[in-house]
Amino acid sequence: MQRSALSIHTLRNILIQNGFLVVFASFFMVFAVSNPVFLQGDNLLNVVEGSSVLMIMALAMTLVVATGGIDLSLGIGLDFGAAFAVVAMKSYGMDWAGAALVGVLGGAVVGIFNAGLIVGLRMSPFLATLGTFFIGSSVQRIFTNGGGPNSHRQMPQSFRDLATGDILGLPTEVVIAAVLIAVYYIGLERSIWGRRVHAMGMQRSAAIVAGIPVDRILVLVFVLAAATAAVGGLVAAANIRMFTPLSGFSYLLDAIAAVFIGAALHRRGRPNVLGTVAGVLFIGMVTNGLNLMGLDFNLKDALSGIILVVALALSVVQRKLRSAN
Amino acid sequence: MAPDARAGDWKTRIMGLLPLIIFLLLLTYVGTQAPNFFTLVNLGLVLTQSLTVVLVSIGLSAVVMAGGDDVVSGGIDLSIPATTVLCAGIIAVILTNGGGLVLAVVLALAASIVVGTINAVLVTRAGLSPLLTTLAMFVAVVGVNNVVTASKRIDLDHPVITDLRSGTVLGLPLGIMIVAIVTLAAWHLLHRTRWGMHLQAAGGSRDAAAISGLRVDRLVRQTYILAALMGFTTSFFILARGSGSSPGVEDNLMLEMVLATFLGAAFSPRRIVTMWGAVLGAVLVSAISIGFKSMGVDVFWTGLIKGTLIVVVVALAALAQRGGRG
Repeated sequence: MQRSALSIHTLRNILIQNGFLVVFASFFMVFAVSNPVFLQGDNLLNVVEGSSVLMIMALAMTLVVATGGIDLSLGIGLDFGAAFAVVAMKSYGMDWAGAALVGVLGGAVVGIFNAGLIVGLRMSPFLATLGTFFIGSSVQRIFTNGGGPNSHRQMPQSFRDLATGDILGLPTEVVIAAVLIAVYYIGLERSIWGRRVHAMGMQRSAAIVAGIPVDRILVLVFVLAAATAAVGGLVAAANIRMFTPLSGFSYLLDAIAAVFIGAALHRRGRPNVLGTVAGVLFIGMVTNGLNLMGLDFNLKDALSGIILVVALALSVVQRKLRSAN
Repeated sequence: MAPDARAGDWKTRIMGLLPLIIFLLLLTYVGTQAPNFFTLVNLGLVLTQSLTVVLVSIGLSAVVMAGGDDVVSGGIDLSIPATTVLCAGIIAVILTNGGGLVLAVVLALAASIVVGTINAVLVTRAGLSPLLTTLAMFVAVVGVNNVVTASKRIDLDHPVITDLRSGTVLGLPLGIMIVAIVTLAAWHLLHRTRWGMHLQAAGGSRDAAAISGLRVDRLVRQTYILAALMGFTTSFFILARGSGSSPGVEDNLMLEMVLATFLGAAFSPRRIVTMWGAVLGAVLVSAISIGFKSMGVDVFWTGLIKGTLIVVVVALAALAQRGGRG
């Protein structure tokens, strides 16, 4: 009697402690059973490679959410990164390094604009970046005459390698994402600067009292986030050899979801780099798995939306239960 | 002393209304530049175009009033436009497949209540942040709608829908009349009933409301249902405007809804989200877009203008508040 009660208790504990892992594993198993291709090494690499741009976007979002804000204009950063790089190569004949630099700077412009609104004019990040989103989208429409893609078939191979090349046998985009994960991990989770970012995210007024230069950190965070999104734009542009206006928006929701799944995995519910990585891989796995099931496009879309809602709910409930224990 | 204080009062009041004054000045300028702007026909056009945004913004403002207006941690419901397109999709599919209007309306209503209930449960029971919940629900519900409609445009010429678009009552457009009645009813509900007062108390200070015995979670749940019902109501106007259901209208409706509601907050002297502010925001944004359009400004510039509006109005509101305090 006592023993079975004990084992039920332990089972419940295991579920609570590892709720998200259980969800992750069950989806993994469903996909693996439904299509054996899912488990092949090539395909698992596909999952990682296909998530690279989202991973880069989600890292940027993690940084912003850690300060207690949100950035709805991250997609504009991605678009600007791609646009500036493509124009630099196409119209000014720059090599890949110059184009990449120009692209990142182009993205950073979006961040500087955000920082001006949020720190200079004291707007809330939600409204400021919503405004930037409207303005940035419109600017792209104006410069592309309504949103037509700017293709650059003859882009230098060295730039194209950002997406299609290999470094030590790994796809370059995966390496770029991995390097950024490492940089963000050290910056946000292992440095004094990162601790300050978290501090102001948890209690802004306490952080100010403690002498943390809140405004300076906010400026840097929004500029860094937009510049990081621009790196995502470089990879996306290299992949399809063109700049597609207004394409960054499609990553926004998944990036936000990944950050919050990651935050729910954290023991105090904070957004964090490793949690975000887990969130991105989960989303990437679901997308890939549903693709392999050969479902109708619309149905696949609806399912991944529903799975996202369920995963978010479960991960938050799990954290609540865990902290209640 | 006394006259001084009164003068200060006046100053505060003008400072409070500064964003609205600036907006109206801008609108007047646009009106003098655009041909036939200040005409009855154009007023009708402005109102007709704003109907859908007015309705969804009423829903959003109810949620924000109950949940508090911190955009990230307070109440927000971004999924209303998704509910709207889902209801529109359901109605369009049923009507074109020979189903009756009653069946279509009942199923759409049921779908909206399901969406509202899921939002409510996730926010109040599971404790997810409203922003995140409703953003994720937005995507899921739009996904479901794409399954329902197979992502295709569905033409609709049901008399109810065409009447809503072009019918008149006593010489006034039917659509505008209905939305005016809905708006008045919502105003009564939110501002003149006990329930509405409780709602505002809960949004103003959650803890104080809870201590004085209000069931805050239940109030919050009810606003998500109300918001979903507003989404349902809006679906008829989306069908009327588009002569059927077409994919992709939800993104724009969502952005316009947020724009109108939070611009409305900047218009209110206390900078809080109110139902009237949201309605005013929706109508004024519609007026200014039509104004710029008839000035011959390219449609690509619309986003730029709206974005700049947010920045100018909200930043001015913040600056005026700082100035008023100093």
